[in-house]
Amino acid sequence: MSPETLAYPFLFLAVFFEAFVLVTFLSKPAKIARARRKSAVLPSVAVIVPCYNEASTVAGTAESLLALDYPKDKLEIILVDDGSTDATPAAMAKFEGHSQVRILRKENGGKHTALNAAIQMTNAEIIGCLDADSFVEPDALKEIVPCFEDPKVAAVTAAMSVHKPDNVLRQMQNAEYIFGITLRHALASVNGLYVTPGPFSFYRHSILDKVGAFRFGHQTEDMEMALRLQKKGYKIDNAPYARVYTKAPATVGSLIRQRTRWTTGFIRNVLGEYRGLVGNPDYGALGMLVLPIGITAIASGIMLFSVSVFDLVRHATQAVSMRAGVPLSYSLAPHASFDWFYFPASFYLLLAALTISATLTLIVIGKRLSKTPGNLFLGLVSYVFLYGFIAPLWLLRAAGDAMFRRNRAWR
Amino acid sequence: MSLVARNALIALGITLALMGTVAYAVNYLNKARLADLSAMEDQLSIDTLALDTQFSLLENAPCESAASSTTVIEKLNDLGSRLAYAESQLGAGNPQVIRLKEQYSLLEIRDYLATKRLAAACGTRPVIVLYFYSNQGDCADCDKAGYALSYLRDTYPFVRVYSFDYNLDLSALQTLIALNRVKHELPAFIISGRKSYGFTTLAELEKRFPKGALATTTPQ
Repeated sequence: MSPETLAYPFLFLAVFFEAFVLVTFLSKPAKIARARRKSAVLPSVAVIVPCYNEASTVAGTAESLLALDYPKDKLEIILVDDGSTDATPAAMAKFEGHSQVRILRKENGGKHTALNAAIQMTNAEIIGCLDADSFVEPDALKEIVPCFEDPKVAAVTAAMSVHKPDNVLRQMQNAEYIFGITLRHALASVNGLYVTPGPFSFYRHSILDKVGAFRFGHQTEDMEMALRLQKKGYKIDNAPYARVYTKAPATVGSLIRQRTRWTTGFIRNVLGEYRGLVGNPDYGALGMLVLPIGITAIASGIMLFSVSVFDLVRHATQAVSMRAGVPLSYSLAPHASFDWFYFPASFYLLLAALTISATLTLIVIGKRLSKTPGNLFLGLVSYVFLYGFIAPLWLLRAAGDAMFRRNRAWR
Repeated sequence: MSLVARNALIALGITLALMGTVAYAVNYLNKARLADLSAMEDQLSIDTLALDTQFSLLENAPCESAASSTTVIEKLNDLGSRLAYAESQLGAGNPQVIRLKEQYSLLEIRDYLATKRLAAACGTRPVIVLYFYSNQGDCADCDKAGYALSYLRDTYPFVRVYSFDYNLDLSALQTLIALNRVKHELPAFIISGRKSYGFTTLAELEKRFPKGALATTTPQ
């Protein structure tokens, strides 16, 4: 059996999942969600901005919130300084005295404690969270609010993309985030979301009171809260036109650290406290498809990467041993002609090409759906050629951390 | 049926259809490859026959057909490369690949004989290499030897390499093996009439060639 054969089940699953997302995207509930109109009645909203050493971005974040198209008497912004050691307090100070802004300073205790402290301060019907490195479009909140007209909806997520993707790595992440827009929109229509991300997710205050405060959640409090809401039988919706831009890691190292935290949090939450949801038909798409496929995706990422590395090493070793004194200039010169006859159309390669094509299609759909600005070409190219090499690194690291119970710092 | 179940079933159907399409496309391409090889062999068969006929017609001036002989070896080399690629894609045990290999080997033997006749008639001394290999797992150095010969063939245009699968069940090939008393010690070479076995490095293989044979100009 060739090593490539091991990859077939995972490629099959990837194509199946993408087909499921596409079919669900075209189903009636998703169409209804896309046609949703803005609410005539606007509830009171509080947006919490938890900050820890965010001096360079918190002002921009707060200003984008103040620019939201929403009645001023119904929107309050709570800036929480979670014991920052940089100039964050000074950056926040310029908003002191603003009628819509409240500032809370506390000892450092982690993001979940910052959120909980702010929730205690407000009576708003809807509570939102915006990471201090994110920025929103003025109409974003008015896109979110109509989702809460369904009383079963406990939380709503937005359409995230990367703020000013100024290098190849950020372009790659931008393509990935936009892929996430399609996924979230489609999966929300069958209540299949398992995370309410930090950038501009909203919660119904009355339901938060029922399910309890945010928890540490293995450094992924947003995932833990979403899973808890799902476990209690609530719905998590998505507003695909509510655009929010978040700063993405600029270096491979910081990206791997961030994603290791996310992936370890996913493994620990899903295989820990929320194991009962996995494979449970009571939780519909989430229990039967999204969570099992999410776990399998981690294994498949590691497997496909291992197969690729194995093949690469095998071919390189073969090429070196084959030379047996043949000059390097001959070995490196291209000998194959551009003839269709030599087109390497193996089942494995065509299947991989099919999976990549489906992913690119879903990314393009996400961009058109959310009307996210900017050129996506470089993002698509970097996503195709880089993601497969970088993602396995954090998957391996996260799997190792989860397996050996290793804990890492947030940053 | 719930919406999720319905969508999952549709997605499964789409996935199976896509998988089937991919499998069909791979199969179609492989068949097209074999058809292409077959067409090439037919053409080559005509070319070889034409060379024989030309040779007979020009009995008094046989060297006039030398140019045609060069074209045939180029085509043979191209066909050999394609056949090796098809073999790697479809497997050495594929019946069509085996049939094409048999035809290819016959063409090689005919061209080898024609080249010898031309050389004798025209007084030239082409560097002819008969190379016997196996891909049944009983020849650890055959890949390396084949690669080194490809290098020699591409670098020195007057080196004519004829590769034969030692285990191919083809009477003409087995006669060639028997006539030259080639033992089952692979890789085996007959370089300008001298027999040798085994392969270590390119430099060592080059030493087996007659002095001056590996030159980039026409051997006299």
